Amino acid sequence: MAGRRDEMDLARRAVDAALAAGAEYADTRVGRLVAEELVVKNGQIGAAEAPEELGIGVRARVNGCFGFAAAPLAGGDADGLADDLARRACRTAERLSAATVTPTPFAGREGHVAEWATPCEIDPFAVPVAERLELLREAEASLEGRDETVVREAQSSLRREEQWQASSEGARIHQVLVRCGAGISTTAAARGQVQRRSYPSAFGGNYRSAGWEHVLGLDLAAHGERIRDESIALCAADPCPGGKRTLVLGASQLALQIHESVGHPNELDRVFGHEVDLAGSSFATPEKLGSFRYGSEVVNLVADSTIEGGLDTRGFDDECVPSGRWPVVEQGIFKGYHTSREWAERIGEERSRGAARAEGWFNPPIIRMTNLSLMPGKWTLEALLADCEDGAIFADTVKMWSIDQRRNNFQFTCEIAWEIEGGKLGRLLRNPTYQGSTPEFWGSCDAVCDADHWGLYGVPNCGKGNPMQVAEMSHGAAPARFREVAFIAAE
Amino acid sequence: MLEEEEAIRIARRVVDGCGADETEVVIEAGVERFVRFADTGPTQSADREWRRVAVRARLREDEGWREAKATCDGTGETELRAAAERALTLARLAPPNEELLPLGGPVEVAERAADPATVDHGFEAKAPWVEDAIAACAAERLVPAGLATTSGETVTLVNSAGREVHAASSRASLALTASAPDFVNGAGFADTIRRNAGDIDPDAVIRTAVDKATRSRDPEPIEPGEYTVILEPNAVSSILLFAAYQGFGAQDVEESASFLCGRIGEKTFPELLSVADDAHDSLHPGCPFDGEGSPRQRVELIERGVVKDPVTDRLWAGKLGCANTGHATPLPNTEGPKPANLVVAGGRQSIEELIAGVESGLLVTQFHYTNLIDPRDLLLTGMTRNGTFRIENGEIGPAVKNLRFTESLVNAFSNLSGVGARREVAGALFSGEVLTPALRLDGFRFTSTTDF
Repeated sequence: MAGRRDEMDLARRAVDAALAAGAEYADTRVGRLVAEELVVKNGQIGAAEAPEELGIGVRARVNGCFGFAAAPLAGGDADGLADDLARRACRTAERLSAATVTPTPFAGREGHVAEWATPCEIDPFAVPVAERLELLREAEASLEGRDETVVREAQSSLRREEQWQASSEGARIHQVLVRCGAGISTTAAARGQVQRRSYPSAFGGNYRSAGWEHVLGLDLAAHGERIRDESIALCAADPCPGGKRTLVLGASQLALQIHESVGHPNELDRVFGHEVDLAGSSFATPEKLGSFRYGSEVVNLVADSTIEGGLDTRGFDDECVPSGRWPVVEQGIFKGYHTSREWAERIGEERSRGAARAEGWFNPPIIRMTNLSLMPGKWTLEALLADCEDGAIFADTVKMWSIDQRRNNFQFTCEIAWEIEGGKLGRLLRNPTYQGSTPEFWGSCDAVCDADHWGLYGVPNCGKGNPMQVAEMSHGAAPARFREVAFIAAE
Repeated sequence: MLEEEEAIRIARRVVDGCGADETEVVIEAGVERFVRFADTGPTQSADREWRRVAVRARLREDEGWREAKATCDGTGETELRAAAERALTLARLAPPNEELLPLGGPVEVAERAADPATVDHGFEAKAPWVEDAIAACAAERLVPAGLATTSGETVTLVNSAGREVHAASSRASLALTASAPDFVNGAGFADTIRRNAGDIDPDAVIRTAVDKATRSRDPEPIEPGEYTVILEPNAVSSILLFAAYQGFGAQDVEESASFLCGRIGEKTFPELLSVADDAHDSLHPGCPFDGEGSPRQRVELIERGVVKDPVTDRLWAGKLGCANTGHATPLPNTEGPKPANLVVAGGRQSIEELIAGVESGLLVTQFHYTNLIDPRDLLLTGMTRNGTFRIENGEIGPAVKNLRFTESLVNAFSNLSGVGARREVAGALFSGEVLTPALRLDGFRFTSTTDF
């Protein structure tokens, strides 16, 4: 607790120093990250890493222009460093303000004093490392047994991010964000093919803001034999043919479809061209808000930084704005953007949606999508498959993703697919690759499975910004059906 | 940044105090100043520094080595001691690995120094770049988005076997995307990446981006299909870097996940194509040592069309019974050795001469969001971006709307028909940089189009 008081004092000190140096507004984040990455690969420890970060970032607004300065907090005069960074942030803003065309707006006042922590049943860092390692070794061993297998991997990731925020508006916020996850994957080589399968999703597994209970609930070892055999069977499977077909997407693949074709185009800084230098812009322009048909009537997408277990579930964003929930697409109509304090006024909103985040203390905040989910429909998966014509395709688990700079033309490849025959999964197909344009694709959605099939999938590696920053968020989905989808014969 | 003497002293202290049978310490210390800008002026900036220390602790058992790594920010005594303790704790729990080798001993590596003027380059010097870019775009009714950045970094590696290596580097870059105000009717991109900020020519970057954007106005629709393409360096890097991510490494080959499998020693590509990994190229030098402190060697990966052996590290050189090429990624890892400084040999033709040899084709400035579908032939997909033009009867014609390609690198490079003489440093959306000329490829497969 003494440490906590010290770090908040330091954050406040930096804010005061920035004001003394001429800032119109200032905020400071002191961040401490404790993490652990374990990988068991082919019976050996592939990686065992325990990173820790501690640093301070100061943001100051001078003459309508923001400057930012950051440095690690270790082994020196912390007070002196905080003062120095505050002055440097102000000096940066002042010098760059010579090139300002339009002063940066900044919506609302957010002087909250609060504590927030991720609810955890089992603190993952309190579980002995030996116990966690044994879980991975058992999971990796469950992939053994076939000569065609060339790679077996089980991995886990833990993160505890503690943050002290202070601002010149009086904000004093202390947050502890705990995230963890795990997964298994296997690669088979046979018949000139190399095919990979993962569980419970790609990107190293599934992650949540939760305690170790989440990893226990994944029951990794119970799924090893299945994905091992699927990876081998894929090597002998037919390549997925091209042409237009009905597509049923599994929930983990839908999570990335939501991420790329709804989440990113919905970030307001992209819409106004401020991410064009790397990530691109967006087709979802402001005149479409409230009237544009983004999808069919069964498509309802909700942004929610308060949802239980979401990787971006927190009390406040990195501009001291409280978390919230809002519709992005309602019965297919485009309804809302992700905004920050810098961008809210551009679309006539008085207050930010609280979607400004930075990667650690080292970066200034930018707009990041929060947890964004496709709301459940009314179908059971069994009924949905039974309702499909022969030749329709069920595909799941992302293998490759690519989308254009306006988030319209996309092409995804899944790890696995089956042709639907007689209302059930039939012939196995490898490298299923589908291509489409965002509103047409979501417009072709005619069925979404119900809440019993709905799950939350974490994306731990979302890159945006320039220089690039990595952020985490989750997407909830249940399997859904799309009509007349274009498949590419990729091979 | 850290002076060599101080960095080695800090690292030695951690090595000596760790308590493991073997210890390796890597210290990365740097400073960066960047400003992003758009139509409203500067949009983000940072004046930031870092000191990241990685401690790899190893314990010897009869059955092999146990090892683990911990990292921390800063070089304070408390943090360093805690990092060493965490590494040691994790190492004690790791099962012994009989494949691992003892750490490597003393080596000599090439010297690398940072350019002091680049390390000190401030915002007052960057502000005019931003002002000029915004003004040039405004004059042509274009919208700017760009990044100006300068940085300096030192990397120091010390291990308990007596290996002590240190290198400094500096980097400066300016990139500008000039777009039509609706972000639909054309865009142009240009950038420059140099070791010294003094070698940045902001006028050339701004002029090229604005020129491409104005020539890209009102792009014509185009049908997907196979086209002869001339890929400018930023388009080449977006596909070639996938061979670095997955392909040119010894472990990739061993795991059957490389396009090298079954092709080593074969003349797979035209003689025009030579690709090497070279951290010592004078135009774009890289760190002279790898993730375990071994000197980086120049490695011919494709020599006059013939596919050569992959890059290695100490472990993979031992496993395969060949030379260590010095391409370890920081250890321990699951990825194996990777190239880090790909260079494509220049040809003899200017870009104009390459274009003159095309009766009907496309000039591609950049690819966006390239990604890997299948590693065996490096099957990729991605979009054209920021200036795609028809080539008609040997001359650049009108701009066309963007296209998506689905094409394998092996197939594309098999159809190489021309190599530019001028080489540029080019990056990509994900990570890495390549030194490459423009390339002309016949029969490049585009599979869909866009409405912009």
